[in-house]
Amino acid sequence: MVKKKQATSGGAVQMSSSMAANADVDTIKSKKRRSTFTWYLFLLPSFLGILLFMVYPIVESFRLSFYQSNGTVETFIGLRNFQYVLTSATFWNTVWNTFFIGIFQILITIPLGFIFASLINSVRFGQNFFKVVYFLPNVTSIVAAAMIFQFVLHPEMGVANYALDALGLPTSTWFSDPTTSKWGVILLSVWHWIGFVVIICLANLQAISPEMYEAARIDGASSIQQWLFITIPNMSGTFAFLLITGWIGSLQRFNEIYVLGGPSGSPARSIQTMGAFIYERGFTGFEFGIASAATYIMFVIILIFTFFNLKISKMKL
Amino acid sequence: MFAKKSFLTLLFLLVMGVIIAGCSNSGDEDTSGDSGLEPDESGEWEGQTLRVHLIGDFDMEDSTDPITGEKTEGLHVVKDEFERLYPGATVQFITMPWEGYTEKTQAMITSGEADVYQMPGIADFAPQGVIEPLQPFIDEDPEFDPDRFIDNQIEGWQVLGPDSDELQTYGLPFLGDARFIAYDKQLFEEWGVEPLSDYPTMEEVMEKAKQMTGENPVTGEQNYGIWFRGDWSSAFTLINVAEGQNGQWGTGFAWDEMEFEFNSPEMIEGLEWLLEMQEYAPSGLTSNQGSEKWLTEDNDIAIMLNQGPGDIIMTSRAQGIDDRIGIVQEFKNDDGIGGLLAGSPITIAADSDHKELAWEWLKFATSDFVQQYVFENVNAMPAIKAASEWDSYQEVQHLMDPTMEAMSTPWTPRYPWGASQPRFILTSEVEAALTGSRSAEDALDKAQQESTDWLENRN
Repeated sequence: MVKKKQATSGGAVQMSSSMAANADVDTIKSKKRRSTFTWYLFLLPSFLGILLFMVYPIVESFRLSFYQSNGTVETFIGLRNFQYVLTSATFWNTVWNTFFIGIFQILITIPLGFIFASLINSVRFGQNFFKVVYFLPNVTSIVAAAMIFQFVLHPEMGVANYALDALGLPTSTWFSDPTTSKWGVILLSVWHWIGFVVIICLANLQAISPEMYEAARIDGASSIQQWLFITIPNMSGTFAFLLITGWIGSLQRFNEIYVLGGPSGSPARSIQTMGAFIYERGFTGFEFGIASAATYIMFVIILIFTFFNLKISKMKL
Repeated sequence: MFAKKSFLTLLFLLVMGVIIAGCSNSGDEDTSGDSGLEPDESGEWEGQTLRVHLIGDFDMEDSTDPITGEKTEGLHVVKDEFERLYPGATVQFITMPWEGYTEKTQAMITSGEADVYQMPGIADFAPQGVIEPLQPFIDEDPEFDPDRFIDNQIEGWQVLGPDSDELQTYGLPFLGDARFIAYDKQLFEEWGVEPLSDYPTMEEVMEKAKQMTGENPVTGEQNYGIWFRGDWSSAFTLINVAEGQNGQWGTGFAWDEMEFEFNSPEMIEGLEWLLEMQEYAPSGLTSNQGSEKWLTEDNDIAIMLNQGPGDIIMTSRAQGIDDRIGIVQEFKNDDGIGGLLAGSPITIAADSDHKELAWEWLKFATSDFVQQYVFENVNAMPAIKAASEWDSYQEVQHLMDPTMEAMSTPWTPRYPWGASQPRFILTSEVEAALTGSRSAEDALDKAQQESTDWLENRN
């Protein structure tokens, strides 16, 4: 009897322990649930930030593009802002300026940066020194760099004109002439971006397998042939990445323009970009509707151009 | 060894402590004194907090002026005095730099951040109905004396409200400003040229600029007869040249009544005059370059058009060259009027809960006490006539007298399009002419057409 009781009580213990185990399983599940919930809680502040400072302005800007608005007084005008921007010669001039500066910045910087990276990759000593030297402009504030470039390209006291003059070449008035001011911006942007291009290219160069070069050498390939047929084809992914990021950055260009030529892109709107046009209309003229419409048109232009860039570079997202 | 190290460390800390204590502000020091006015003991202001928005080089703390090297007092002086005069009231300042003030002010107004705003762009804000008309306050306040302001300042800042078709007072002049012609007396002397007359004509300026362009007969350095900004403010420089020939920018104040005269004969003549003046200027006008030596011992420019007092008076005094600088009036029409009305009025927010206290602040901010404070501590110009009696004014009287004269004779009301698209259109076309992209006539025809189109689209 006692044994039976003991057995019964043993069973009860077993049962209660299995029930406790079940309870433990639930606890782990609920703990996991709580833990997942905790991660959501951690994500919440940044998500709220994105909602408030990105999603809301994007939606609000879209709404404003259908209104004539000075910030407080609004009138619904349908698509008139879009019509105004799309038929504005000033806007298309800014599109031209943006693309002109962007095209030459990319055409110059990517090949030049790649050549510099190849040279740095070839040297035996001082690679890190050259990396630092070439990357320094990229960590400099573009606003500060633009101010310094105003002195570098000063028509009378600038280092650039001094050097041109010393070489017997004609000097330029740079930012004071609509025909040369864009080239001043291009020079600045090449100088500022090239360090980034060099570093990215170097990373790719160092990832190319040495066996490929060894095999090519055995087959009698010269250094130039190795560079042309091994290095460059292996860099295509990096070139595509630089092309796309470079284009997006170029199409959004604003800071250096504001410093060098103000929101109107002086002289004579010769360096006014799409970003500067939006700023001028929105924040100096209180034409938030027109500025918003121009923002969406700029978005569509960037979207189309990025799509073509992806197709051309065969890059997969 | 340890003892020696410890002793040296302690000694170093002691010396540093003495230096820091010696350099720090005692906190009790108040060199400003007070306004000498009696406090309002009515108890009416108890518990009210007034939020005051200020733009410019305002600072709560005492500091050292980077240009003059002199110690300047922080806004706490103004706060303490207002709170002494209005017991129970508290002042909170919201200060911002000039950079991007328009959009920042708009954002503040939209979210009801302040009771009192400093508002250079009053013509854009009043039609939005976000600021309070001041005439009712003026009518009901026997203490308020509009004659204490420099002539034409109150009228100059009058604007249209949301429903009015007549100009009204929405702001009181707080910071004064002016545009004038400055010149270097030393260069004139070295070239043997008579100083500019108090009211020079276009012909006089051109003749003298021409004479002083070339190699300085005394120093042998290259000198330039003239300089003016060919970019940001070139539209205003051109308008003033047109005013000097009895022309004008156009007519109207409300957008639906405005008519531009950007391609009038006076404007075309004015732009052609500027193109000719460019011959006597250094390269770089259209990118705000070429005048780097102005206000230095090595200055190479004789005449500067469209200048403001904030950049010249205290700066030249700090350099010890204020006696070398001369100031004369911009071009005036036959009525003695011409030039941009500049400066900052102060206004009361329409959604303020403390409008009566805000009105008291407006009077206080335009009192001798605060006006003298901004002149001596913020390098800003006063907006009241009584300024001429201050000792600090007397020290630079030769520069301040013509500045006060310029402040009393600007074109009024302020150009209503001065911060809108027509200003940027006109500026761009002046730049196009100055850089040889278009003739003066073509540039101004284009400016007229684009501005008129913009106006039609806006209305």
